[in-house]
Amino acid sequence: MSNALIETQNLTINFGGHRAVDDLSLSIEQNTFTAIIGPNGAGKTTFFNLLSGLLQPTSGRILFKGADITGLSPMQRVALGIGRSFQLTNVFPTLTVHENVRLVLQSRERVGCRPLTSYRRFPELIAEAEQILADVLLLGKGHLPAARLSHGEQRKLEMAMVLAMRPQLLLLDEPTAGMALEEVPVMLELLTHAKARGESTIVLIEHKMDLVTKLSDRVLVLVNGALLTEGTPAEVAKNPDVLKAYLGGGIRREATA
Amino acid sequence: MTAKRWLWASYAVALILLLVLPHAIGVMTRELIGRIFILAVFGMSYDILRGYTGIINLGHAAFFGGGTYIAGIMFTRLGTSASASLLAVALAWAFAVILALVMGQFAFRNTGAGGVLACAMITLAFGEIVRHTAETFRQFTQGADGLTFAVPVIFRDRIGMYYYALLFLVVMTLLLRQFINSPAGRVLQAIRDNEQRARFLGYDVRKYKLLALVTAALAASSAGFMFALLTRFANTDLLSVQNTLNALLFTIVGGTGTLYGAIVGTAFVQLVQSYLLELRGIHEIFARWQIFFGAIYVLVVLYMPLGMVGAFLRIKGSLAYWRTSGGNHTRAGD
Repeated sequence: MSNALIETQNLTINFGGHRAVDDLSLSIEQNTFTAIIGPNGAGKTTFFNLLSGLLQPTSGRILFKGADITGLSPMQRVALGIGRSFQLTNVFPTLTVHENVRLVLQSRERVGCRPLTSYRRFPELIAEAEQILADVLLLGKGHLPAARLSHGEQRKLEMAMVLAMRPQLLLLDEPTAGMALEEVPVMLELLTHAKARGESTIVLIEHKMDLVTKLSDRVLVLVNGALLTEGTPAEVAKNPDVLKAYLGGGIRREATA
Repeated sequence: MTAKRWLWASYAVALILLLVLPHAIGVMTRELIGRIFILAVFGMSYDILRGYTGIINLGHAAFFGGGTYIAGIMFTRLGTSASASLLAVALAWAFAVILALVMGQFAFRNTGAGGVLACAMITLAFGEIVRHTAETFRQFTQGADGLTFAVPVIFRDRIGMYYYALLFLVVMTLLLRQFINSPAGRVLQAIRDNEQRARFLGYDVRKYKLLALVTAALAASSAGFMFALLTRFANTDLLSVQNTLNALLFTIVGGTGTLYGAIVGTAFVQLVQSYLLELRGIHEIFARWQIFFGAIYVLVVLYMPLGMVGAFLRIKGSLAYWRTSGGNHTRAGD
C-alpha cells in the first residue's frame, strides 16, 4: 500500500435512507490511469464528491499519501494537489474564456491577492493561458465570455482548466458528457497527452467504453455504491457480472470516431 | 491607437471642464456637484461588493455614516487642528476595517445556497445596530436632531472644497480601478460568477470576500468623511438602510459591475432629484420625488438591466466584436 496516492477506508455516505456509496475501500496507485465505470446511479459522481471534499462521508476515511484528509475543505485539498472537473459544465460564465484559464494559473502559481498590482504584471500567466487554449483548439475564442461557447467547447474549456491545475491527482467526471461525437477525438487526444506527460495520477469516470479501453491501466466497476469488480479493461470486458450489472442499467457503447 | 488617443483627449477635456466649472455656476449647483463627486465614491464602493463580488450588503451605510459621524464627533470634541483631523481620519479608517472584519466574520459564514440571503440579513442587522447606537448616545451624536460641527479652516472655502471633492473622486476611482484589475479583484469576479468553482480552483472564498468588504468599507468611510467636510452636518439618515439603498440605486441606474457606472448613476440620480425638487413650485407632487424614483428604478430594472454604462459597454463590445475577432483577452468591462 506504500505506493497508494489516494486510499479510501470503509467510505460510506447516506442521503436519507439511500446509501449512495457503501463501505467502499480501495486505493489508487501513483502514476496510474484508472477508469470508473458503472450504470447510472452507481455512486460514481458521489464518490468524486467525497474525494474532492464537496461532500462529507457519513463514515469512513480518505487518505491522501497516507495522511487523513477526510475533514479537509475542497480548497485545502486543491492545495494538496487534488483537482477535479465537473460532469455538468462549471465555468465562470461572464468572464472571458482566457480569464477562466488564467484564474487557474493564478491560483496554481500562488500569486496571492496583490490588491494594488495589475493582473497584467504577470504576463507569463497570460501567455501560458493562451498556450493552453491553443492546445484545446479554443485560441480564437479567448476573448468571448465563457457563456457564449457551445456545450462541447465549454467541455473543452472545463478540461483545459483542470489540466492547467497540474494536480497530482486528477479526477475527471465524464469529460465527454453531452459532447458531439465528432468532438470526442479531441478529448481523447487531450487525455492521452495528459497521461503521457505523467505528472498526474488520473481517475476517469466515463461511459464511452472504447475511450476507457484505450486509456486505462485499470478499471473499477461500481454498482449500487460498492465495488463489483476490478481489473484490466480486457478482464472487465469479459466479466459476466459486469455485463449483467449493465443490463437495463444502460451501457452506452458509443463509437468515438 | 487613435481610439485610445481620443479617449485620453476626452478625459482631458472633461477634466478641464470640471476644473473651470465651479467659477461658472451658482453656489447651489456647485454644492450639488461636489456632493455628486463624494457620493459617487460611495456608489463605487457598493459596486465592489454587489457588482464585482456578488455580495448584498444592506448595512453598507454604516461605513459611510460612520465616517461622517467620526469626523463630526472628533471636530466637536477635539477641535479642528491638523493633528485632530489626522486622528479623525485614522479613526474613521480603523472603524471601517474593524466593523468590516466583524461583519464579514458573521455574514460570510454560510457558504451554501442560502448564503446570499443570510449575508443580506446579517449585514442589515449590523447596519441597524450602528444606526441605533448613534441614536442612543445623544451626548456625542445629538441623536435624531443631527450633529452640526465646524470643519478645519482649509476645507471652509466652498470652491476649494469642490476641488478637494473632485480630487477625492479621481484618486478613489484610480485606486478602485487598480483594485478590480488586480489578481484579487479578478478572483472576486470569479466568485461572483461561480463561488463553488472558485473554491475548487483553490481560492479561499471567505478571505477574498473579507478583502472586498474591507476595501469597500474603507472607500465608503472615506467618502463619509469627505461628506462631513462638505456638509458639516451628520444625522442618523446617513446610517439608515435608506442610504444603503441610495448606493444600490446609483449602481443599478449606472450599471453594476462597471465601476464607472456608479459615477454616472450618482450624477443622474442626484441631478434628477434636485431638478424634481425645483419643480415643486409648479405642483407639490414634485416635492415627493421618491415616487418618481420608484418608477425610474422599476423601469431601469425592467428595460435596462445593465444600467447606462453597462448598456453602453455592451453596444461598444458588440461593435468591436463585429469589426474584429482579434486576440483581445480582457473583459468587456475593463
